[in-house]
Amino acid sequence: MQFVSRPSSSGPLVWASIFAATCLLLFAFQKILWLVVPFLLACVIYYALYPLAQRLMLAGVSQEQAAAWVAGSFTLVLAGLLVLFSPWLTTKGVMLQELVDHYLDGGQEFLERTLSNIESTMPFFSNAHLSDKVHASLTSFTDNFAQAYLFPFLMTAASWLPSLLLAPLLSFFMLRDGQKFKRFLLQAVPNAFFERTLHLVHEVNQTAKAYFHGMMVLTVLDALTLGIGLWLLGMTSPLALGIITAVLAWVPFVGSVVGCILVVLVAATDFPTQPGMAYGAIGLFIVARMLDDFLYMPMTVGRKLKMHPLTTVLLIFIGGAIAGITGLMLVLPLAGIVMVFGQTIGGAMTDMRLRARHIHAVKLRRDIANRDL
Amino acid sequence: MSLFPRKKLTPHLQQLAQIPLFSTLSHAGLIVVEGLLHEREYVAGEVVFDEGEEAQALYIVLSGRVLISKQTSSGLQRIAELGPGQFFGDMALLDNSPRSAQARAAENCVLAAFFREDFIGLLETHAAIASKLSLQLARHLGNRLREALQARPFE
Repeated sequence: MQFVSRPSSSGPLVWASIFAATCLLLFAFQKILWLVVPFLLACVIYYALYPLAQRLMLAGVSQEQAAAWVAGSFTLVLAGLLVLFSPWLTTKGVMLQELVDHYLDGGQEFLERTLSNIESTMPFFSNAHLSDKVHASLTSFTDNFAQAYLFPFLMTAASWLPSLLLAPLLSFFMLRDGQKFKRFLLQAVPNAFFERTLHLVHEVNQTAKAYFHGMMVLTVLDALTLGIGLWLLGMTSPLALGIITAVLAWVPFVGSVVGCILVVLVAATDFPTQPGMAYGAIGLFIVARMLDDFLYMPMTVGRKLKMHPLTTVLLIFIGGAIAGITGLMLVLPLAGIVMVFGQTIGGAMTDMRLRARHIHAVKLRRDIANRDL
Repeated sequence: MSLFPRKKLTPHLQQLAQIPLFSTLSHAGLIVVEGLLHEREYVAGEVVFDEGEEAQALYIVLSGRVLISKQTSSGLQRIAELGPGQFFGDMALLDNSPRSAQARAAENCVLAAFFREDFIGLLETHAAIASKLSLQLARHLGNRLREALQARPFE
């Protein structure tokens, strides 16, 4: 029987389901972050290492051996770097509180100088004792910073360490058994939907790969933009600051604000007599943020996910509203994967022929089972 | 006695080695391909795929028989009946064109599906295996073309 199925486009119901499913998943993921974060990190490592494993396989090495070699080498390099930098890290760790206090004091002085300038030009602020009030709250903030923020942050980071160590192990198993897992999953799919599901699994893998590649390109673009900008401003260690702030930008919006504060603190402390440096850094961040949100992100991550730029921006807002920082970070990859699922399942469920074939196959199997009863 | 004795194929790999598409592959190549195949069981009368459907995979008959038929103006025309070792839906590996005929299990059968994207992946990871498969596929298509031309000579 000839049955020509038309390529169906997703309707509003499918899109509404995609948005609803993304929101629900974000809410659920927030509750199991201890598992989601190592898994995401494992995905990043997997997609970064997979080309290397592919090269080994191309040279004739089996998938199991390639996975073991690549994951083993990665772990060794990581351990080597840790051993190499541990003396430096220990020294810096001991000095961390001093360093943080130093830069916070620099930032505070910069803010107070700026406020004094404002008060001298605008008497209204002087009458309101703006500078005094801000000074009092800032002093209380910086005095309690280590106790209130730094130590809890370090404790949280330490408690995350064991689950983060799962990431290399997970990525090794992804490299080694990814194909077996795919076959295992597909065994549960009825014959009528088998080819569609094969395609779906492939598309999900492609979407995740595209997202993580997009994120890597975005990080490089961000680091270069900020690094070059800071270098033009004459800042110290522009590339290092660019890389740190680009990595912080993995958390949309919030990460960028933290990155901006970090660079302004460095500028205000290292160049106390040149307030122009700090203002320049703020200006650079505004430009970089606009480039990032409206050009780089839609052009890299958004384009890789085949998502409209407006949808990308809208999803970022929704993600932030539902699950805060976690939501901001997870919303795009999650929406990309849910989108592929939604479109494929929507297509399969609305395909009358596939459903009829499945019902027919079930009836045939039931007839066989009932034959001798 | 050889220094590197040839590894003995498992019954499953022996079965794969007898399929023309995989007959030129080495032991290691067969293991790689086996890892990519999806075994599916179909009952007699069950449709494997329809004519006009988007093609995603090639199927190899491991056991049982499969009927290939095509809708014509005079009704459903039977094109071929395939048995163990034969394969169908081979154009799926080469392009995105829709299925040119319907495949239906003539009796209870076990098929192995080979997904197009896995074949494309082989081109990137195991070029030697992929080129051997491509050559066998080209030979198979050449034979089919020759048979079609002999069946309907130029007018």
